[in-house]
Amino acid sequence: MRELNVEALARVEGDGGITVTLDGKKVKSVTLDIHEGPRLIEQLVKGMTPADDLNVIPRICAICTLSHRYSAIRGLEKALGITPPEKAQLTRELMMLGENVESNSLHTFLLALPDFLGYPSAIAMLNDYADDVKRALRLKKYGNHVMAVTSGRIVHGENPVLGGFGKYPARKALEEIKLKAHELVPDAVRAVELFASLEYPTYSEADMMFMSVNAPKKSFGFAGDNILISNGKEVSAEDYKKLTNERVVTHSFAKRSLYQDGTFTVGANARMVNMGKRLDGQAADLFKEHYNDRWLKNPLYNNLAQAIEMLWSLEHIPDAADQVASMEDPATAEPTRQTGSGTGAVEAPRGTLYHHYEIKDGLIDVADIITPTAQNLDDIERHMKLTAERMLSEGKKDDEVRLHLEMVARAYDPCISCATHLVTLKRI
Amino acid sequence: MTRQSPKVGVYGFTGCAGDQLMILNCEDQLVDLFGATEIRSFVMAKSDNHEGELDVAFIEGSISTEEQLKKLKEIRERAKVVIAIGTCASHGGPQAMKLGEGGWEERYRKVYGNAKITISKAFEAQPIDAFVKVDMYIPGCPIDKGEFLAAVSKLVAGRHPYLYKFPVCTECKWKENPCILYAGKFCGGPLTKAGCGAVCPSYGLPCVGCWGPTDDLNVSSEYKLLKEKGYNPDEILRKLRKFGGAKVAQLLKDVENKGAKA
Repeated sequence: MRELNVEALARVEGDGGITVTLDGKKVKSVTLDIHEGPRLIEQLVKGMTPADDLNVIPRICAICTLSHRYSAIRGLEKALGITPPEKAQLTRELMMLGENVESNSLHTFLLALPDFLGYPSAIAMLNDYADDVKRALRLKKYGNHVMAVTSGRIVHGENPVLGGFGKYPARKALEEIKLKAHELVPDAVRAVELFASLEYPTYSEADMMFMSVNAPKKSFGFAGDNILISNGKEVSAEDYKKLTNERVVTHSFAKRSLYQDGTFTVGANARMVNMGKRLDGQAADLFKEHYNDRWLKNPLYNNLAQAIEMLWSLEHIPDAADQVASMEDPATAEPTRQTGSGTGAVEAPRGTLYHHYEIKDGLIDVADIITPTAQNLDDIERHMKLTAERMLSEGKKDDEVRLHLEMVARAYDPCISCATHLVTLKRI
Repeated sequence: MTRQSPKVGVYGFTGCAGDQLMILNCEDQLVDLFGATEIRSFVMAKSDNHEGELDVAFIEGSISTEEQLKKLKEIRERAKVVIAIGTCASHGGPQAMKLGEGGWEERYRKVYGNAKITISKAFEAQPIDAFVKVDMYIPGCPIDKGEFLAAVSKLVAGRHPYLYKFPVCTECKWKENPCILYAGKFCGGPLTKAGCGAVCPSYGLPCVGCWGPTDDLNVSSEYKLLKEKGYNPDEILRKLRKFGGAKVAQLLKDVENKGAKA
């Protein structure tokens, strides 16, 4: 028996590694090990007020901070019977567009691209790809700026609250965001062209199942009350447990998900499979040009999917900013009950994120959070195993196998701190 | 004469990676930052990491497994200066909010049942100074770009960085924000370390205490203000331990005792 290890998986958020166990020539198992320590956040928020909970839970993850906040807001508002004013809804949509640009630009250019071009980091790419690194930093900074204008801070902004916002963004700031979005569209187009020009190795390819929210009004988007499955089914987000079936495994402090005993994938690629036809603008043109059957089998296409999605987000920011600017600031909507339950579902950049809450007499009784990376872990391991089997049978060297395994894991844009979140229910 | 660039390592333990992300969020300074220092290890940002002697180790996150504890001690041994970045490394963070009150095993069992996680032994999260000597703290949830960059510039120049010692209230007054406490809402500003620019009160929202406890010497008078507004110690602790954990509890105990003596 021999082991092939990637001890510290670099250029991902959080602490993880990969272990391949070989029995002779046969690959016995490939595991994505999560070393990140447990935090037990869902247990700690028990007994808190919804407002206090909302301060704590975005701290599960810095990159998806607004997705966590928005998903929790959706779940808590349902539970408390709060109907948010239209301006609040639109401002939330705008903040999600900003987070998408920020996170997708960070992942595509700075975390994933160095693998494809053969560099240890984006900084090391500076000599040869200075324009692309600067492009990435411009897009990221802009995404962060949109997040700051809407949420109050670039990471863990407290401005989005139940029923509305502490303070709505100023018209001048919205105008600046709008002008800058137009300016940056060519950078995002370049991102799509760059990721479309890369070779995506076939080692990991296999049939896949995808899930994402169903954005309302038949449009592309990052929040919804129903979940779309690539087999054509649609399920209410309230039934999230049927979709995600969490279980404990011994090599990780993150739980795992299966749907109908099979693995599935969430994320930008899943959104493209389920809602790609709803894209508009240049994003739609480029999607039509580059989308093909291999997207249904190869997780590496998540990188290209993220680039197209980033362009769509950027193209939609001006409209969203205009709509927010055109409205008067409404009063914050108040709870209509103090006991109830509700599930929020949003599309974090790396996939569907559920926040389920049960509230009793104004205090949190149950909090259940299912993160995208926890849902993806089984599929990540499945595709890594295929990659290892196929590459080793072709006699590839260990270092090359290692790199390709990392590329598969990284393509999922795993958020390991997020994944280390844990559910309150025991399902052993 | 050229000064040798300091050898730097950036490490993350249990937390949200937000402080490392804030370093990557210094888009305009990132290239210079990598140029002015020799970044030997930064796993979140690059693959070519070399562990060895360090001038400065920036450490994010709290410690919650045996494996992490071993690594933390090993980093301490080879780093001349250890700087805790972020509230988790400095005070424990949200995962350590009930530190010292018991009940961790019960919470752990509710999450994992009786399954044996073999990867490492876990325990209740604690700030890094529970295990090693920390030379400097740059708290924040997440750290503030400006505060971090100012500290790094001083370090590169071989000087000691200066961090605010007063509470959020001072920054709030600079901004001329209306006082949240006077509007009848609880605000953590009086007992929370400054550095964020009083961001939440600037949005009309109460300070949630995410920088952790202030080290202001005048803290008794700030505490008195909260008590005058009708907040009792239990309530104050419940609100502020979300980030400051056991250190807020200690601060409150100290002020109470001091008040009793006076």
